[in-house]
Amino acid sequence: MEQLVMVLLFIVFLQNRIMDLRKAVLCLCAQSAVIAGACLIMGLAGGHGVQGLLPVLMTILVKVCLIPYALFRLIGKLTDPKEIVSGINTNYSTGLSAVFLMLSYLIVDKMLPGVGNRDIMASSMGLILIGLVLIVMRSRAIMQIVGLMTMENGIYLLGLAMTEGLPLVIELGVFFDVLVAVLVLVILANRLNVSFMTTDTNVLRRLKG
Amino acid sequence: MQNLIYGMLAVPLLFVLAALSRRLSNNVLHALNRLTAAIVSIIFSYMLAMRKPGQIFSEGYFYLDALSFWMLLIVVTLYFASSWVSKSYLVREDKRGYLARTPDQIGRYYALFQLFVWTMLAVLTLKNLGLMWVGIEATTLVSALLVSFKFTRSALEATWKYIMVCTVGICLALLGTIILYYAQFAALGTEKALNWPWLSQNAGLLNPSLVKLSFLFIFVGYGTKIGLAPMHTWLPDAYSEAPSLISGLLSGALCTCALYVLIRNLIIAVPAVGVSYVTTLFSFFALLTVAVAVPFVVVQRDIKRLLAYSSMENIGIMLVGLSVFTSISLGATLLHMANHALIKFVLFYIAGTIVQEFQTKNMMRIHGLSQEAPHTATFLLLGMIGILGMPPFGLFYSKFSIIMSLFAGGHYLLGTVMVTLLAGVLIGILYHVMRMLSGRAKRKACSDLLDHTDAPLLAAMLFASMLLGVFWQQIPVLNNLLVEASRIIAGGVQ
Repeated sequence: MEQLVMVLLFIVFLQNRIMDLRKAVLCLCAQSAVIAGACLIMGLAGGHGVQGLLPVLMTILVKVCLIPYALFRLIGKLTDPKEIVSGINTNYSTGLSAVFLMLSYLIVDKMLPGVGNRDIMASSMGLILIGLVLIVMRSRAIMQIVGLMTMENGIYLLGLAMTEGLPLVIELGVFFDVLVAVLVLVILANRLNVSFMTTDTNVLRRLKG
Repeated sequence: MQNLIYGMLAVPLLFVLAALSRRLSNNVLHALNRLTAAIVSIIFSYMLAMRKPGQIFSEGYFYLDALSFWMLLIVVTLYFASSWVSKSYLVREDKRGYLARTPDQIGRYYALFQLFVWTMLAVLTLKNLGLMWVGIEATTLVSALLVSFKFTRSALEATWKYIMVCTVGICLALLGTIILYYAQFAALGTEKALNWPWLSQNAGLLNPSLVKLSFLFIFVGYGTKIGLAPMHTWLPDAYSEAPSLISGLLSGALCTCALYVLIRNLIIAVPAVGVSYVTTLFSFFALLTVAVAVPFVVVQRDIKRLLAYSSMENIGIMLVGLSVFTSISLGATLLHMANHALIKFVLFYIAGTIVQEFQTKNMMRIHGLSQEAPHTATFLLLGMIGILGMPPFGLFYSKFSIIMSLFAGGHYLLGTVMVTLLAGVLIGILYHVMRMLSGRAKRKACSDLLDHTDAPLLAAMLFASMLLGVFWQQIPVLNNLLVEASRIIAGGVQ
């Protein structure tokens, strides 16, 4: 489990530095696969049989297959699959992510003392915050979607570590919502591309006051 | 009862399937849409009439008590009203060429509209806090497609902000819900996970510090959806860019739903964290929300944004009512939600009509409304009087009770600041309204666009708000609901 967490953190930090949209989506894919692996380990340890394995299958289906597929199709329609920002930007966001990771260890130690799985909890809390960093610091629509998914993955992992996962009905509902959310965002990004000729959200600055 | 709930939830879905099949002509769609809303309203009225005082319906995934009935009453009323007037609105939009881009716009609009209402009805009837979260997230996604309905550049911008800010917020609410589940897991085991009645009965057994942490996340999460400052940035954009009928629903119904889920969580949190914590948290954000809204109201140029900021002001008042947490203020808050929903819907519809008449949202270009379009002007004036909390409309009563309970509870400073801020809003809005009503129209003649289907309905809604202000205690059904609902909210501190 600890190895998985390390791989996960490595992937997330890598995500901070990637400029190419395709590689970012691949990274997201790998991140979700690691989450699915964690889910599998938890499911086997919990001993719930088939019911414990359903979330694993859902994770693989929704987060590893469907969502990246939708994002790749969107990227295929774009003219410039690279994000244009200066190098300093990624250093800031990497540094910020590191600070947030330490902060999340502090949060877990202070707020939730005596919880098992300290590393998993802290790294999933870190995942949530780093997702937030990605959403705020990146301007390309797809990068923001990737950030949102990172955040969602973090929350999912936290739920897994804290309570062995939510009840099945709720979990299915959450998966459904996540899938629909990404589809709606992909539709919107596609429209942005048609209307503004770009998916850079910096162009969205007309509505004020 | 269960069959009735199934019926209420099944009928809109059937309509969605029919509308998406693209086989129906526009006239059939208009008629079917009204029919669907009428059936749902009749089912709900029947449920309301069958309900005995104090009765709680709880079976399977559904849970209906007085609180959910009250919220359902608000949402179903707005649902019926908006589907009744949507024909005249859409036909006018179509004539102006706003809908002409693709052929089956009206079918798409109706399908999304019914789906949107369906998600809200589901949120209000569900028993489980986790499923309520799923429902609230679903309302965001469906309404985002409605906000961006025209796919103009500004609509896209508004939608992108709306969906990004709200989804991040709602994710935090999920985090809070998971922590709450962990608290339940530690104290009560996995049985009846996140089941609201079970949790509210055993709220005292949960670990207070965990509940506090979870409620903080839940408050920020659903607060984003309600539109509390500083997470409100999406609100004026989304309200102003959505079609006017949808703006009315977003402000009146969706906000009610999000507040409902927050209240459900509040009931669980109060025994663990104490009333004073809730008072501090809620009154701070309420005051901040109103304070942020005031300057934007005063310098506003966009008529729909003006209404959006007025919604923020009213949300602030509702939150103040919750923060005082006495039976009078809680009842007044519930009443305020209903009144605000009724009047804000009328106002957004009228604003939409004015935009169609003058073909601009800029208030600086709208003059002489009372000469050019006397009916629209009358409704605008009455609605604005209503929303500012002047008698005889219901908001006067509810606003007055909330402010009064604030002073009665000893929060003098808070009350004084609140009244000052409200005066600022009043001056700002009245200035803009009077400017629009008076003077002479600079464009060529723009006639009254209200017709015989929508004008009576708007009048009826204003009248209903008047009734809710003056006579609600004389209507036994409403009075029972309101008293029981406020008792449910206060239940945690008995």
